[in-house]
Amino acid sequence: MTRMTQVLMTTAAVTLALTGASGAQDVPREDTVIFDLDRTIRDPENFNWMTDGTGIRRMHGAHQTMWEPLFILNYGTGELDPWLATGFEANADSTEFTVTLREGVTWSDGEAFDADDVVFTTQMAMDNEELNAREVATIRGQVASVEKIDDLTVRFTLNAPDPRFMVENFGVRIFGSFLIMPEHIWSAAENPATFTFNPPIGTGPYEFTSAASNRAIWDRRDSWWGAETGFMEMPEPLRVVFLESGGEESRAQLLANNQLDAGQNLSVGTFEAIRAQNPDTIAWYADYPYAVADPCARQLEINTTVAPWDNANMRRAVAHIIDRTQIVNIAAEGATTPSRTMFPEYGSMAPFIDAVVEAGHGLPATADVEAGQALIEAEGWVRDGDYYTKDGETLAVEIHVNSASTEYTRTIDMVVEQLQRAGIDARSVPVENSVFWGEVLPFGGYEMTYSWLSCGSVNEPWASMGRYTVADVVPVGERSPGFNNTARWDTAAAEAYSAIVNEMSSMPLGDPMIPQMVAEAYQYLDAEMPFIPLVQAFKLHPFNTTYWEGWPSNDDYYNHPFFHWNSGHQIIHNLERAE
Amino acid sequence: MVEQNLGDKAHPGATRPPGAPPPDLTARQVRRMKRFDNPWRNPKLIWGAGLLLSIVALGILGRLFWDTDLVFTGSGMPRQAPVGVENIRGQIGSWAHPLGTDVSGKDLLALLIVGAPNSLYVGVLASLIGMSTGIFLGFTAGFVGGRTDDVIRVLSDVMITIPPLLILVVFQAAYGDISLTLMALLIAAFVWQSPTRLIRAQVLSMREAGYVQMARLSGASTGHIMFREMMPNLVPYLFGSFIANVTTSIVTAVGLEVLGLGPQRIPTLGRVIYDAINSGALIQNLWWWWGIPTLLLAVMFIGLLLINLGLDEVSNPRLRRL
Repeated sequence: MTRMTQVLMTTAAVTLALTGASGAQDVPREDTVIFDLDRTIRDPENFNWMTDGTGIRRMHGAHQTMWEPLFILNYGTGELDPWLATGFEANADSTEFTVTLREGVTWSDGEAFDADDVVFTTQMAMDNEELNAREVATIRGQVASVEKIDDLTVRFTLNAPDPRFMVENFGVRIFGSFLIMPEHIWSAAENPATFTFNPPIGTGPYEFTSAASNRAIWDRRDSWWGAETGFMEMPEPLRVVFLESGGEESRAQLLANNQLDAGQNLSVGTFEAIRAQNPDTIAWYADYPYAVADPCARQLEINTTVAPWDNANMRRAVAHIIDRTQIVNIAAEGATTPSRTMFPEYGSMAPFIDAVVEAGHGLPATADVEAGQALIEAEGWVRDGDYYTKDGETLAVEIHVNSASTEYTRTIDMVVEQLQRAGIDARSVPVENSVFWGEVLPFGGYEMTYSWLSCGSVNEPWASMGRYTVADVVPVGERSPGFNNTARWDTAAAEAYSAIVNEMSSMPLGDPMIPQMVAEAYQYLDAEMPFIPLVQAFKLHPFNTTYWEGWPSNDDYYNHPFFHWNSGHQIIHNLERAE
Repeated sequence: MVEQNLGDKAHPGATRPPGAPPPDLTARQVRRMKRFDNPWRNPKLIWGAGLLLSIVALGILGRLFWDTDLVFTGSGMPRQAPVGVENIRGQIGSWAHPLGTDVSGKDLLALLIVGAPNSLYVGVLASLIGMSTGIFLGFTAGFVGGRTDDVIRVLSDVMITIPPLLILVVFQAAYGDISLTLMALLIAAFVWQSPTRLIRAQVLSMREAGYVQMARLSGASTGHIMFREMMPNLVPYLFGSFIANVTTSIVTAVGLEVLGLGPQRIPTLGRVIYDAINSGALIQNLWWWWGIPTLLLAVMFIGLLLINLGLDEVSNPRLRRL
């Protein structure tokens, strides 16, 4: 809806962003790096990331420039790159984790960053149910207690064994991490749920300058603990801007005109068109298909409480009708591959994917419409003209789709078409980004929708599988904890599934029994389809080398290219002015 | 007589002072004069109607000779250019998709065959409903007067201040996917006010005319006087108003569609343009995708404009130039 306005306003916004807000000093374009933002900053004055379920209070530059993580998972090496922490130790059964913080880290106001901050922030997360960001909810669910050993050492005691605790909460495995907040500021807040943390401070090399609904500006500080301690040199950009580009067309124009240095996801055709105009544009791969898969494989989410989709056979019918190869060819323009399971098709995930496929629970790459229709007919539906009907009711489904990206809408258009041809009156219902993440998804306000909520696993299976256990089921209208099991899948099969997954959760990483257990648990997912995996993610992030070089790519794989993640620090530190 | 009243627009060059001798006419002007014996044979009117009919014909003939199922996602290779034209990947367009395809492989010719009449349909339906409401309320208010008049007048005056697009955007965003007919109904709710006001004004001036008084004295019913005696005199005027309303309705409908708020799966011209903008058609140089629908919209609007001008001349002889 606001898309058109955004297109018109973007040029004005660029000018504004470049000149900065009133009072800020002017920074030349060649010292400024401009990142793309694919959504509106709803409440630009509020920096309380803990009460924001959508991530926008972090991804507008805050967690790429100002708030630093303890570790960053390096997708290239599979290791945790230390940042604010230098290492950790776990006890034998993975119920106690002792973290060592880096010496010499300071907040931008000069206060020391130490164990008190970590203990305080963790305790605050545990004590306040209203703090609803996914990372906060996870900490609250896992941590039994946290204590300071000395100024640079913190010990977490968990409710249950969890060998993934550090990478999951503090390692920027996916998108964010549990960010440590300054105790000396937050302790003065009466209620952390209403505290806006404005002006915000952090430990990072940049400080907040100004923000509006369509941009945020961060300027480099004069000093930074990392440069002082020899951890890293100061990053080169003097100013970092996150700018809402407003859709594919204006994003493309901005990139072609060098008004944007890093863009959010684009379609293959648009990327090729930009490159024809501006040869300085690059992507992860130098050649087709350009795109790289993030760990969030795409899937059709189903609300299993809504008839007729509360019937597992009906969900399986939909799974049969969906043609993944067509989605790959048409919606993704060949830039991805069909999913076989819920997992990302990473080399590190191969043992688990293979186990599932060998057990016969893998998904086919193409459709078997007749098998799907047979299932529907077995449930008493009769094809009457274009659609199936039963008791005078037409078999219909509304699929909510986030209108923020053409990837989403085009994929769902394809799914709608496939369902329509098979006799289901499917319709897509486009929803604005913040409504989608803030209202539709967490509260179960949909029949089906397009998302990636089994996202989590990168090198082990539990992170994804653990998101569909019965423990996370809440009634429709209540918020699903951390977007887990929004399908509200709680049948007997779900119980059996949860039992196996829970058993798996405490087993050490790499236990040889795990692939077998994955396959065993997966039979229930396959039989009941609380969600339907579609295709692997395809992220075509265009980078512009006119002003800045050193962007991540397959040839320069210091980490993945997802600059809106908490790992964006690494990208900014790696940038060098183009000569 | 009545007609002159109606089209009382300033056009001094076309009038001649009463009592002045008729100007000398050339043979050609006399011919044209004779043609005006039938005011409906107006060239603007005919051209305008022709343009609109060509859109309707596109819809009818297209359905006979082209496969309209090609409007759906994945019907062909994406990004094909029109016949003989090369696209950005160096592929030459073929007769399989004479006007090319969009990025989802939808056939553009099929989209136009289905979409253009759909856009016209929304406009005509919304305008029909709006006009019918306007005629009914306008006549009632003007002829019945009193409290009825007050209520209708205040209602239409209030409604006319509400910007329709704003309300429709909110409504459609909340409602999600809607059908063409529902969209027409929604738009109709915002196009009845000005016909109501204008017709009321005309009826007020006509109410005291001799033939109306005569009918009243003869004991004719209110309905009879309103719709049998007075309305025929307003026909050209109503037509003009109707056409103007169709234009407004189409503009509103296309506006909603271009914002992505129209029906999701039913092709309309606005929807095609929305998809094009949204998928980066400009930078990919897929000009056929947004260009041809825009051209068709232009044809539609020019047709409506010509009809409107033609009807103006029909209802106001002083506008006719010799």
